[in-house]
This record gives sequence, structure tokens and C-alpha cells, in this order.
Amino acid sequence: MLLIIVNGLALGALYGMTAIVYNMQFSTSKVLSFGAGQYAMVGGVIGAYVTLHLGYPVWLGLLGSLASGAIFGWLSEFIAIRRIVRTSDDHLWILSTLAFATIVQQLTGIWWGTEPTPFPRVFEQGYAGVLDQKFWLPILTAVVMAGAIDIFYRKTMTGKVFLATAEDGLAARARGIGTDNVRAFSFALSGLIGAACGFSAGQLTFVNFALGSTLGLGGFVALAVGGIGSNAGGLIGGTLLGLLISFTSHFVGSQYQNTVAIGLLVLFLLFRPQGLFPKTFLRHV
Amino acid sequence: MTPNTVVKPIGFAIATILALALPWISPNLYYLHIFTMIAVYWILISTLNLLVGFTGQLSIGHVGLLAIGAYTYCLIAPFGGEWPYLALLAGGFIGGLIGLGLGLPSLRLPGFYFAMVTLAFGLIVSELALAEQWLTNGSVGLEAPSLPAPFNTQTTFHLFVVTIAAVITLMTWNLSRFMWGRAMISVRDSDVAAMSVGVSIFRTKLTVFVFSGVTAGIAGGLYAASQSYITPDAFIPDLGMFFFTAIIVGGRGVIVGPLIGTAILAALPEISGPFQRYGVLFNGVALLFVVLVAPGGVSELISTIHNRISGKGRRPAAPADLDVLKTIITGATVHVG
Repeated sequence: MLLIIVNGLALGALYGMTAIVYNMQFSTSKVLSFGAGQYAMVGGVIGAYVTLHLGYPVWLGLLGSLASGAIFGWLSEFIAIRRIVRTSDDHLWILSTLAFATIVQQLTGIWWGTEPTPFPRVFEQGYAGVLDQKFWLPILTAVVMAGAIDIFYRKTMTGKVFLATAEDGLAARARGIGTDNVRAFSFALSGLIGAACGFSAGQLTFVNFALGSTLGLGGFVALAVGGIGSNAGGLIGGTLLGLLISFTSHFVGSQYQNTVAIGLLVLFLLFRPQGLFPKTFLRHV
Repeated sequence: MTPNTVVKPIGFAIATILALALPWISPNLYYLHIFTMIAVYWILISTLNLLVGFTGQLSIGHVGLLAIGAYTYCLIAPFGGEWPYLALLAGGFIGGLIGLGLGLPSLRLPGFYFAMVTLAFGLIVSELALAEQWLTNGSVGLEAPSLPAPFNTQTTFHLFVVTIAAVITLMTWNLSRFMWGRAMISVRDSDVAAMSVGVSIFRTKLTVFVFSGVTAGIAGGLYAASQSYITPDAFIPDLGMFFFTAIIVGGRGVIVGPLIGTAILAALPEISGPFQRYGVLFNGVALLFVVLVAPGGVSELISTIHNRISGKGRRPAAPADLDVLKTIITGATVHVG
């Protein structure tokens, strides 16, 4: 029983972190990217590649994983977003991010293989049941990450520049902020968060080229449940979804994961479309 | 009387006759099978184009409706005796019904939400097809009876499929030319403008969605009849991605463009043999390329070239969307800022 709950919390942390990725990208670009889950997949694969195939220590694997996430984040902005946001066609970014996510996933599938492979242990620890690192690592990463982002937004200059761009891009540019660079940087940062999510998730989900689309969907549900723009809401929404999936997997069957996720999404969209913690936007009339 | 009113019907007739004559043009049975599959996909894609290209609702999950049609056909056809056509119709009916159930909540959502919900719908259908063994026989799959006597050879089956495809193409073409087509385009380009001239946005979207659900169900039945055996593996999300990409690559908002896109995307992995496993990757690359370089797709490229040759100069090929106007108006402020 406890195992089901802890498993749900760990899963929820992954969805929550993906929701944070969505949030960070949305805040500066007003784009919800289909690629949001793919950084975690890339981070996991690179982490496993560096440690298992090249035989380097775990901390180097983490470093490589984070770097690859940041690079892919920046690449997705450069390839799929930058040219698109200048046009006014709202549909194009859905297409371009979908295409980018497909390409990343397929390339990984071809290079790495489509079978899930095990991920190395991050810390020396025998199997410890409920207290195993595969459970607490994602939860800890998510909490630390959310706290760090909050401090980043509140205390640092760069964070304030982010907020200014998110609030009103035009006004930010009038104050001399290069919003294009801010957007690129926010994508790199969100890619890094995604990679950290994938690295911490490795032992729970295994290294799987399809992880990106699973997290993309689950993270989006977490986002919609929590309300767009709220990181805490995303984490709570993710936890809700993770627990729900963990319980139904155990009592009904693991084949209903997507059905549960999308059921929760539709319920929320029907009855509380603004999410649990709606962020109010000022709209000029 | 523009040239289009004469040229297009003739072009349509020629294309139909060519498609019908394919068994004699290319006697190779393997190629014929590919052509038949293209026609089956086209039955689905031609109406999905009304939804994606004309109405602007990006559905990635029509593979779910295709699967539902295919399973309905397999489950009902054995009871139909000499009349499995009824099972095809039943597939269309159930496809439309499920489309209605899916469209009612999801079509109210903005673009990305809708795309995500339809994507998830495709996942759910294959998930349930795997899980509900009492109905679908799980991963083992179901046997799909082929059509009876006149249409049981590959050639006659091809003729049957192409005839249905031609009829549905004619329907979509007629829909797109007149009132409904205008309504769809207005919903896509500016919902405010659509409302101001009395177009019911939600009803338009829902009608188009249900229509595409019906043809997706029929296409699913034909798909099953052509395969003789179906498993949940056949209806992976990649297939939904293929339908969607075919429309975007071919060109949104024109009838003939997605046909070209379908033919290219369906034929290439088959012909290229050893590169078959790169098929989905190729879809992604094609989609990204088209979005970045030629958002109007292949058909826009063709009409641009055609206009150059026929001396119409650099005038934009298709009548400009409201988007262009929007860019011109808003562009000034954006660039100043």
C-alpha cells in the first residue's frame, strides 16, 4: 500500500517537472511545445550512455545529461520556435514543435534502440523498498527544482528579466531587454530541467525512447489540472495524476494509464478549465 | 465562368479514371496493393482535410477512429453473411457516433489542447484494444473477412475502394466550394468574423468532425478488409501522425494537395525498402521542412511555379488568408516594439 503511494508520488514528481518545463517555455514564448517531454527522454538516454556505455562516473553522466537537455532545449527554440513566433499563424508552432518532437524521438529510437534499458544506480544503496532511491530521487529533484526556480525568479536579475518578458514582451523590449535571447535562454533552461527530470527518473521508468510522449501527455494533464503559469499547481496536479495512475495500475490494471490521464484532463477541462491555481492575466481592452 | 469551373471537373474525372485504370497500368500486385492502401487512407484524409485544412482543427488522433471502424467491421461482418457492406456502414456509423462523443467536449478547446486530446484519444483506443480482450481479442487480433464475390480479388477490390474514394472526394469538394466551405474557412481564419456573419462556430466544427469520423470508420472497415487480419499494433499513433502530415505537406485548405501528400508519404517508405524504419522520421522531417519553408505545402509550390510560368508574375498564388492581413496590420506595431 505504502509502495503504491510512494510510486504515485514519484510518478507525480515526473509529471510535475514536465509541467514546469511547459510553464517555463510558455511564459516567455506563449508556446505550448509538444517537445516538453522529450528533454527528459534525451537526458535519460544520454545519462545512461555516458555512464553505462562510456563507463564514466555518475556525476559526469549527470553533467552530460544536463548539458544535452540544455542543448536540445536551445535547439528546439532555434529550429521550431524562433521563425514561427514572428508569423501570426497560431497553428504553425503546434506543427513545428510536433515535428521537432517526432524527429528527436525517432532519431533516438534509431540510435539507441526501441527497447527500454536499465539505468545505473546513482547512489550506493541496496534495494530499500519504499525508501529506495528510485522513488525519492525524482521527488527530491522536483521539490529542489521548484524551489530553485522560485528563488531564481525572485532574487536574480536574470529571473526578473524572465518575469518582465513573460508579463509583457513589448514593454520588456522597450526597456532594452532582448526578448529573443530571453526566450532562447528559457528554452535552454527548461531543457535542463527536463533532463534533470529524466536523469532522476531513469531508475523508475527505465531508459525508453517513448518516455517523451508519455511525459508530454502526463505533464500536460498536470499543467491543465494545476493551471497554466503555476509551478506549484503543476506539481500538485502531477502528484494527483501520479497517485491516480499508481492506484488504478495496481487495482484495475496498468493498461489503463492513458485512459485515466485523459479522463482526469477532460474532467478538469469541463468543470474547472482554469485549473486549481489559476494565474490571472491582465488583458488590455 | 472562370477556367477553374471547367478545368477542375475535368481534372477530377481524369484522376478518377486513372486511379480506376491502375490495375491495368501497373499489373504488379504489390504496387497495386500500395495504391489500394493510398485510396483507403485517402477516404479518411480527404475529410480530415476539411477538419484540419479548412476548419483549422488540428486532430492527430484520427487513427483511433480508423481503428474503431476496423474493429467494428471485423466484429459485425461475420454476422452479415453475404452483406458485409452493412458492416462497413456500421463502422461509419459508430465512427461518427464516437466522433460526436469526442468532438462535443474537445472542440471547445483551443488549438494545442485539442491536438493533445485527440492524440490521447488515439492512444486510448489502442490501449483499450489491447486491454479489452473479450471484445477485441487483445494483442492476438481479429480475423477480418474480405468482401464477397465481385470484390474479392485485388483488382475488383481496388475498383471498389477507388469508387468510394472518388464519391467522398466529390462530396468534400462540393462541401468546400459552397456555403459550408466558406463557413469552415471563416472559423479557421477569424472566429470573430465568422460569428459576425452568423456562422455557428461550434456547430460547424462539430459537423465537420462527425463527417470525418464517419468516413474514418468506413476507411477503417476497408482497411480491415484489405488486411485480412488486424491487431492493435496496426493502429499506432504514428499512423495518425502520417494522416496529419500528409495534409500539411500536401497543403492545407485545398482538395488536391493532401492527395499528393498522401501519395508521397505513403509510397516513399514502401519503395525505399531498407529505409522503411525511417518512415516516421521522414514524416517528422517533411512536416518540419514544410512548416518552416513552405507553410502552404506542395500545392502552394506547384501553383506558385504554375503562376510564374503562365506569366502571372509574383502575385501570391492562393488568395491571401486573413492572417496575412493580420500580419500587415499587427506587423507594424510588433516591429516598432
